[in-house]
Amino acid sequence: MTEVVVIGADANGLVTAELLRRAGHSVTLLQEEAPRGRTVGWAPPEVANALELSGLELYCPDPWLRAPLGDGGMFELWRDMARSVESIRRLDARDAERWPRFCERMATLARLLERIYVEPPPSLVDLRFAFRLRRLGRQGMEDLMRLLPMPVAELLDEWFQSDVLKGALGAHAVRHVMQGPRSAGTAFRLLHYHAGSPPGVFRTPSSNLAGLLRARSTITVRQAKTARIAVRNGEVTGVVLEGGEELRASLVVSAVDPRRTLTELTEPGWLDPDLVRALRHVRSRGVAVKLAITFERPPDWTTLTLAPSLDYVERAYDDAKHGRVSAQPWLDLLAEGKVAEVHFQYVPHQQAGDANIGALATKLLAPHAPAITECKLARLPAAWPEGQPHQAELALDQALWMRPLPELSGYRTPVDGLWLCGQAMHPAVSGVGGYNCARAILRNT
Amino acid sequence: MKTYDVIIVGGGHNGLACAAYLARAGRKVLVLERRERVGGAAMSEEVFPGFRFSVFSYVVSLLRPEIIRELELARHGLHILPLESTLTPLANNDYLAQWADHDQNRRELARHSRRDAEAYDEFGLLLHRMARAVKPLLSTAPPDPASLDPRELIDLLRLGRYFRGLPEKDLHALWKLLTMSAADYLDEWFESEALKGTKSASGIIGTLLGPRSPGTAYVLLHHYMGELDGVFRAWGFAKGGNGSVSAAIAAAAQAHGAEIRTQAPVSKVLVSGGRATGVVLDGGEELHASIVVSGADPRRTFLGLVGEAHLPDDFVASIRRYKFRGASAKVNLALAELPRFTCMPQPGPHLRGAISISPSVDYLERAYDDAKYGEISRRPYMDIILPSMLDPAMAPPGKHVMSIFVQYAPYHLNGGWSDARREQLGDTVIDTLSEYAPNLKGAILHRQVITPADIERIVGLSEGNIFQGELTLQQMFFLRPAPAWSRYRTPIHGLFQCGSGTHPGGGVMGASGRNAALAILGRRA
Repeated sequence: MTEVVVIGADANGLVTAELLRRAGHSVTLLQEEAPRGRTVGWAPPEVANALELSGLELYCPDPWLRAPLGDGGMFELWRDMARSVESIRRLDARDAERWPRFCERMATLARLLERIYVEPPPSLVDLRFAFRLRRLGRQGMEDLMRLLPMPVAELLDEWFQSDVLKGALGAHAVRHVMQGPRSAGTAFRLLHYHAGSPPGVFRTPSSNLAGLLRARSTITVRQAKTARIAVRNGEVTGVVLEGGEELRASLVVSAVDPRRTLTELTEPGWLDPDLVRALRHVRSRGVAVKLAITFERPPDWTTLTLAPSLDYVERAYDDAKHGRVSAQPWLDLLAEGKVAEVHFQYVPHQQAGDANIGALATKLLAPHAPAITECKLARLPAAWPEGQPHQAELALDQALWMRPLPELSGYRTPVDGLWLCGQAMHPAVSGVGGYNCARAILRNT
Repeated sequence: MKTYDVIIVGGGHNGLACAAYLARAGRKVLVLERRERVGGAAMSEEVFPGFRFSVFSYVVSLLRPEIIRELELARHGLHILPLESTLTPLANNDYLAQWADHDQNRRELARHSRRDAEAYDEFGLLLHRMARAVKPLLSTAPPDPASLDPRELIDLLRLGRYFRGLPEKDLHALWKLLTMSAADYLDEWFESEALKGTKSASGIIGTLLGPRSPGTAYVLLHHYMGELDGVFRAWGFAKGGNGSVSAAIAAAAQAHGAEIRTQAPVSKVLVSGGRATGVVLDGGEELHASIVVSGADPRRTFLGLVGEAHLPDDFVASIRRYKFRGASAKVNLALAELPRFTCMPQPGPHLRGAISISPSVDYLERAYDDAKYGEISRRPYMDIILPSMLDPAMAPPGKHVMSIFVQYAPYHLNGGWSDARREQLGDTVIDTLSEYAPNLKGAILHRQVITPADIERIVGLSEGNIFQGELTLQQMFFLRPAPAWSRYRTPIHGLFQCGSGTHPGGGVMGASGRNAALAILGRRA
């Protein structure tokens, strides 16, 4: 039995802790702040099975996308393909005809991601990976090779004509990345957010995964702030808490972002200067804020996206690119009763406290929603470096075998006994990084 | 009637290179060129009396050394003069100069940032190593990864083995170059805005992408390939202008027995029973050969010369979505005197190198922002050389010619291109440049402005894209110009492509022409 400390009790930390405990280790789970709400991310069956989870619920609004039209009407995309097609037909008959085929082609690629995601990242020259790609068949391979490096705007322009459809889909693809829909590599993100959902749904569901695990009597979470990770002779020896208490452990797993884990919590002297330099260059720019709003009365919908065209989203990005809050941001709302959470993009992280954000959102929402009685900026979780929920921006150069850095992509660090399991790790899906990390640890110890 | 083994449509430098290699292998080759002289976009012309210009492409950097060697281009009159420096004038009358001399360069960089001066050599070595890793691919016909054909499978395995043989570190570095933006990539190395701006500029050339868009780091590497052979920064100027490159390749082709006909515009490729049988000229004359090679870009070749009726639907769809989006323009000036840059007013070696208007990454990104929404950049990026400083024969004694490559001038301009918009572009360029060299306006004797629409009209490059199609990842290697058709062959038996719309793409490189010839001859490079 090994003494294990897991730092961070989000879905990744919880999954890692529980899997290690089930393998017979003695695990202490530390949390700095209690995570709130649902776990954003699909929970693959592999993860649910390994944890013997019962009562797992996935939540995704239906319609999953709802965008206002200029004439006061609404455009909606549903889980039900036929209903989506009907809705698209009101925008553009040709787009409606193409929608099912588009969804089928994207789903083929998303299925590949789903398989790749529940394993450690493949190596760039992995033959098994190459054969797996060939199994996609000609169409699938061509789609994958073309689509990965493409701007999502180009992909959508190839298929569709309607600005409303393209704007809303494009916006969802650039969620939480400092890129616009015309930036290369953003089509890949549409697939990432599609993974785990049925064909035609390009929104990541959320689940009660973390809640279920926290409710387990076998897991105890300790409220404590980690001061540093203790290392002797290149081997981890434990964790020192703020206040000075030392927890001895021969295995420490961190769900905190790798830069903080390795350069702040660990004495960087243990690391190769090249790695420290590379860690400093991991891009983790936050681009959005969350607003908690209360309506006068409950709206008759559960979701609303304001992103009327690709150009609209691109111009919103232009502002952020030059360091400003978008004058016309794209917004995405999830409502429950009278309250709603607003995703407001783009806001460069330095600007995240800007006092005008709430007023701007209220103004933009006024024509489409009931009157807003309260609107406040929600605090971003401390686990998001610079406000970036993926910890390391999910871009092609920071994905798969590059995530977050090639040297760390196997969840292992150069410090013996210190592992990484957070969102910065492949596949950047809550809980799944923890699953992959725990399995890598169990294979190696 | 005279018959030929091979007819090549288009006498650009790739068509000529293809002709030279085929003729050298004993084939009877005919090159058909629409215009009155060969060269395509690699062409010199006396635009104004006494003033000669490389009207379109203007530097030699990427021309494959094996082509220079194998076709003995030096013997056929090619003489390359090195461009030894890059000067980036800055707004505050300062400048950043990059010199060929290592120590001088380091001192100059250190003036802006000691850290950058330290990092510069390591950066250069890394890109050098990356370029070397990619170099063998330039002369490879990209195999189709979905193919079941045993020959292609063998090539795929060879390719896989090649990559597996590279150190893992290099593979990851290469992946970063393929997927990152030039700006992000350079941010990892340097801090000086002027250096990052000037370096990232080579990442945006020929594409409608800004330096912050992923994919531009690769274009940066693409332009480093030319810095490989011989001297580190081996960008050069062909004596007599870039037409000399075409002339030398044409001379080599003719020496091997190839025939070249100018003013012979091809209107159609003859197809019968799925086979190419020859071509029809504008006047109706038919010429026959069992192999037809097109140096025109994919859109003109397949949607124009061949016609959709002869092609499979999915192939036509691939060609239709192949992106051009030309974004580059050219301004050629005849000058009464040399420009005096306020940051370096005396004539000196800096006027024999490149002058780059790229003070920062932000400057370039803003230039792109305008073009992204269909406008000419209000303050464009410019790459300038003074050919008469390198080859005095380009201008009358005491006078000079200036070549200004401009970006961005989008082909899809709001409202479309017109004479007025062309002049507006010219004025924007001169106004911007005058801020750095105030005597310029008074020195201009003549001015020629070439928009992407002009490039399309005159040279025939679709949408004026100087690379015959954007050099983006989804249009490269085995996807160029269409999946499954990256090996210079086409769905029409006997019809091949040799333009830079095929792997490895643009620049005056000649690799496409050479690779196509080797594919036709059934040989590996």
